[in-house]
Amino acid sequence: MYSKTEHILVVDDEWESPIVGAVLRTLEQEGWKTSIIKPEFSTDSGNDFETETLYAIETIHPSGILLDVRLGEYREDQFKGLEILHKIVERYPHIPVLMFTQYTQGPERDTAVRSSLQLESPVDFIDKLASPQEVVLRLRRLIGRPPSHIIMGEKLILDVDSSLVQVKQGDSLDTVNDIQGMKFEILRELASTWYKSPGQLVPFSKLERYSDGEEARASLRVRIREIKISLGNALGVKFGAGDFIINVRDQGYRLVPPKTFENL
Amino acid sequence: MIQLIHIAAIIFGAVVCLVGVILGLSAPILGGRVSDNLWAVEPVSYVAAVIIISGLTIITVSYTILGILHRKINPFDSGDELISNWAALTQRYFELFQHDLGRPLRRILGKEREVRSTIDLSNRELYADVLELLDEIEGQAPNFRLMMSNVQVLIQMETPVGDLALEPIEPLEIVRRIVDRYTFAATDGNKEITWWSDPDEFGIVYCDASAIEHIITNVVDNAVRFADKRIEIKLIREGSSFSIKVWDDGYGIPKEYRSHIFDRGWTPELAKREERTTSGLGMFIAKTLSQRYGGDLMVQSSVGNEVGHYTEFTLTLPIKELSG
Repeated sequence: MYSKTEHILVVDDEWESPIVGAVLRTLEQEGWKTSIIKPEFSTDSGNDFETETLYAIETIHPSGILLDVRLGEYREDQFKGLEILHKIVERYPHIPVLMFTQYTQGPERDTAVRSSLQLESPVDFIDKLASPQEVVLRLRRLIGRPPSHIIMGEKLILDVDSSLVQVKQGDSLDTVNDIQGMKFEILRELASTWYKSPGQLVPFSKLERYSDGEEARASLRVRIREIKISLGNALGVKFGAGDFIINVRDQGYRLVPPKTFENL
Repeated sequence: MIQLIHIAAIIFGAVVCLVGVILGLSAPILGGRVSDNLWAVEPVSYVAAVIIISGLTIITVSYTILGILHRKINPFDSGDELISNWAALTQRYFELFQHDLGRPLRRILGKEREVRSTIDLSNRELYADVLELLDEIEGQAPNFRLMMSNVQVLIQMETPVGDLALEPIEPLEIVRRIVDRYTFAATDGNKEITWWSDPDEFGIVYCDASAIEHIITNVVDNAVRFADKRIEIKLIREGSSFSIKVWDDGYGIPKEYRSHIFDRGWTPELAKREERTTSGLGMFIAKTLSQRYGGDLMVQSSVGNEVGHYTEFTLTLPIKELSG
């Protein structure tokens, strides 16, 4: 919708199960396109998954792959996903692969991680009980590149490419003209960190480079206050000290976009 | 040295055996040459048999003596081997059934997420009871993951300690993953997790990633459960060690409980003679693991109904260099 769509290839023989369905829904809510490998001849064989996965990579060029470890019903397919992983790493070392499995510990993971690390490929493991949001966060980091638009809460959009902050009003987008230059850079820094790792604080040292004058910290505090006032005016709310951008124990700032701006 | 003597004795015994076998096989020819009389064949065969038996005796004696010496030097080795085998077997069974153990929860979780996606969340009051049930199910997932992980680590801990496997790891990434896991559960309970690193770019240390992940997951799980509103995680690198501090603004741990918090199987309910809600293994495992890696896990707490109550766990580990 707002950016070049990330395309995620999902390889899981339980693709019809509710647990995979929840992940697919969340990926789509994220604005990502999903393609699922469904072997044409349903023989429940791991080899079918391997052939179709490698073919799909050639044809759709996915931004990332969510790959199950166990594919198929046969005993020899217990770790088929790891075999496919090795082939992907060998042929397409730059495609991020998130292994979706119950085997998050133990020798199988270690072997796979080690062999993939040798090629410096972006490979990670997550277990099937992880929440869909956790899967999304892990994929965001594996893919690495920041999105062109970061959506904060239900109404605020940070257009990174055009250096604009926009507010959704019904079907239209209004630009918040007050947030430009250094103020935009401060907000971009906070939003990018939140996007990849919610909860992580951005230290003063990183933000103070967007301030000027001898009193960099004081200048930063003023800019943050101005950002909150501008956004508050655009949204028709008043942000308090503990809303939206918070100062944590003199360490730095953190973005906390509320689910809804209505109760502020 | 003993090993060398042992190998030499076995080789010597084998050579003696071989000489005996060759002599035995060539007895009909040699016997004929030594004497025209046929009787000469048999004595050569007897000599060959004696040589073979001598060779075998040397090998057997060598094994027996080595076994006795080995037991004298390492009296617990055979026991360790038994425990190692037991631990490996248990681990194999656990890994075999791990998938099936998680299957019921995966199915329930999947259904729960399906139902959640169909509910109109803007009308929370109408679905209050349903949402409470869905939150409860979702909340059990991290508990189950931690429980499975605790069982696995406990099995590993029963295995005699060999050389600890050190690998280059990024503690920053480990903390980030743990926050990923708990941040949504915390937000649902109106709690917030904030974390940071000092310095910002923490870098790489040599340690065991699974061990650190396991220790901190147990501590964060506790903090999220008992925090009032805030949980803070701080990663600090100082000289030859690094530490991870997990702070929460919960009620705090009463002084009389603090000395028991790391005891195996201890839970606050045990002191109150109430039904236990957890196994009481998490903190015991976390403390034992941290000490196994040359570090420690400490707790500080302040109790009270007024402002200022908190609990802070600090994991400290040495920054090891890889030798060679």
